[in-house]
Order: sequence, then structure tokens, then C-alpha cells
Amino acid sequence: MSRELLAQRQAALVAAIVAGAPLPPGFDEPSVRAASDALMRKRTGEVAGVWPALCASLGPQWNGSFAAWADGRPPRGALRDGWDIARSIAATGDLGPAAAVELAEREVAWRYDGVAAPRRRWAGARRVPGGLLLQVAGRVWRSVRPGGNGLGRFSS
Amino acid sequence: MTAQGAAGSAQNRYGVGIGWRREIAGFVAGLPGLRFTEVVAESLPGRGPGIPDGLAALRDRGVAIVPHGVRLSLGGAEAVDPARVAHLAHCAVALTAPLVSEHIAFVRAGGTEAGHLLPVPRSRDAVDAIVDNVLRTQAELPVPLALEPIAALFDWPDDEMSEADFLCEILERTGAELLLDIANVYANARNRGEDPLTLLDRLPLERVAYVHVAGGAEHDGLYHDTHTDAVPAEVLDLVTALCERHRPPALMLERDGDYPAAQTLRDELDAIADAAGLPRVTG
Repeated sequence: MSRELLAQRQAALVAAIVAGAPLPPGFDEPSVRAASDALMRKRTGEVAGVWPALCASLGPQWNGSFAAWADGRPPRGALRDGWDIARSIAATGDLGPAAAVELAEREVAWRYDGVAAPRRRWAGARRVPGGLLLQVAGRVWRSVRPGGNGLGRFSS
Repeated sequence: MTAQGAAGSAQNRYGVGIGWRREIAGFVAGLPGLRFTEVVAESLPGRGPGIPDGLAALRDRGVAIVPHGVRLSLGGAEAVDPARVAHLAHCAVALTAPLVSEHIAFVRAGGTEAGHLLPVPRSRDAVDAIVDNVLRTQAELPVPLALEPIAALFDWPDDEMSEADFLCEILERTGAELLLDIANVYANARNRGEDPLTLLDRLPLERVAYVHVAGGAEHDGLYHDTHTDAVPAEVLDLVTALCERHRPPALMLERDGDYPAAQTLRDELDAIADAAGLPRVTG
């Protein structure tokens, strides 16, 4: 097998495991599926670790929801995977309040277009349920109440 | 902890350690006999002060810390990314590491990330590709590189070499050391219906820089090297069998989630020490 052929065969195998492409001939299908399933379990757990409120908001549906969303979508790292699914749920209006705050915290701290890797913002502000998030130089404040005069330090 | 540096001398042995993870940093720091640990290189920042305080404190008290890469993709047909190699080298310098380690595996191809370590075909062409990548990496590293064979749930249909021949040729042509994951040896042998001792008896055990020990569990008839379950008795028996043949300079527990109570971790570390015939590090 030449280097080019090895590259093509490795690409075909990765596509079958994480992007829903057909399995190249000759592989033991149940064994590769076992690897693919194990990979999905690991990925689900990693995203839950980085997006705990998102995971908690879906409760027992988290594993199934994430697996359904991730099917055919190659992993882009736990931060981006969680971000993408959180935005897709937010777009339907079904994101729980704590998960919405979690998403807003990331949105004020990072610039992310859904295509390239997120980049840190110097500063940002965003409305969240019951108030406003403000981020400056990595520190995030959350307003106590909308229009109120107090900004409580939320996290940094 | 290079294999050569540790040859035979009890003073040079690092003994039993555990992989450093943020979630168990306090536990690791509290191990009175700890002399070495390992950290996932990609979990460390690239520039600046960067090293987490807990890890820097271990380094400063003389604990050897090995940066362990998981994303280089040494087994990829494509050339290793120089930026990733540079990061591994940076980690070695920042941690004053005695060596670094990576896997004989590929993690991306054709621009798609697998998010996991995948097996390479055991073929001559794949060996050539791996050797090229290992040599490129070694050229940029300030310390020796140890290579870790992975646990694979499936094999390529056209494997033309035995695992032992495949590994021995890579080690011979690169001069790399071996990071032997004894749980991977167990997992592969069990899933292939082979005897794990057959592989142990064919590997150059004097080139083992250190050993990984981890837990796993069976799902649908296959044994998965999960790092989130208890270390099975069969893996501890293999530790003993390995040490009877050639005791490595260091052995460490890999735990990567579902962290149990501190006492359970202590018991696992003691069980590894007892199986290896090494002093306990827990107190």
C-alpha cells in the first residue's frame, strides 16, 4: 500500500467511524461499530464535562439527544461540540435557563462563528434570562436585575 | 526514567505513580511516596506561565513529570504537524521532563478528527509512515520519546505483520523507548483470543521506559480499556508476570473519569505496587 493509498484508506475509515460514511470493505463491522459507539460515549461525556448546565438541562435525554445530534458530525472538541448543539437547541427556544446562562457566558467571552475555532474576546455583553452578562478581560459579571444599579461579580 | 538510565539501579527507579488530572490533583499531590506522574500534553497551554500550580509544585519538589501526547497522530499517513511537535517539546522543557510519550496510532485523516486513537494497519508501508513521523518528532524533542501501542477494538483486514514484529521494527528503526500499556496488552489479547504472555515474551522489555495500568469493562462481548473502571485482577496478574520477566523503572495508574473515592484510588495504587513488588507510595 503506497503512502497515498494509506492516507485514503485512513480517511475512509475515519469517515466511517465519525461521519456516517460506509465502512470500507474487509473490516469486521460489529467490531468497528463497537469502537464507534465507545467513541460516542466518550465524546458525550467530554461535552457534558465542559457544558454541565446543558447536560443537566436535558437530564436523562442528554445521551440520546447528543448522540442523535452528533451522528454524522465529526468531533470538533468538547467546547465546540457543546456550543454547536447548545445554539441549535437555543434556536428552537428549548434551552433551559441555566443552560442559556452557560451559553451566554461563552458567547460573551469568545468570538465563535461556528466554523473556525473560537477566539477570546476582549469584552462582550449579552442578555440572559433575568439580566445581563458583561465580560471584560476574562472576567464575567452578571447583573442582579435588569436595569438595576448593582452588578454582582459572577465568575472570572 | 529513560530505560537506559534506570537500568538495574534501585535508586533510579521511579516506582508507582498515577496520571495527573485536574480532578484528582489534590489526591496526587498528597501521595507521600510519589516520584513520577504524567500529564496529557494537549491539556497544557502552549505559551506563557501556563503550567497549572499543582503540577508546578510537583515539579519543584522533584517529582518527574512526563508529558503524554494524544493528538500527534504519529501513525497517520500525513506528516506530523510541526506545531504539535513544538508543543510537546515546549511541555518537556516547561516541566523539565525526563522524556515524553505518544501513541502508535492515528487520530485524524483527510481533515477529519476521529477524537480517539485508531489503529494503523500492521503493514510495511504503515511502518515506514510511522518511522518517518517518529524521526521527524524526535528531531525536535529535547528528551527521548517513548511509544505506546494502543488498545484496538478492531484490526485492519490486511494486516501482514504480527503485533510483536510490527512494534519491534518501529522501535528498532527509531531508537524510541517503549511505553507499555499492560491493560492494552490484556485488552487486545482478550479480544483477539490470544495469550497476552506471547506478546510480552516477544517485546524488548529492557526498552520499557514506563508502564500504564488501567481499568476496563466488557460491553457486548468486547473488553473496553475505559480508564473509568476498576483495574481487573487479570491486569494485575500481568503486571506481576511482566515484573518477573523484567521490572520496568516505573508503573502508573491511568484514571480518566468517574473518579472514585480517594481510598479506592489508594487501594488500586497499593495493588499495583504489590503486584510489581515495589514499595507502596500511599503512606
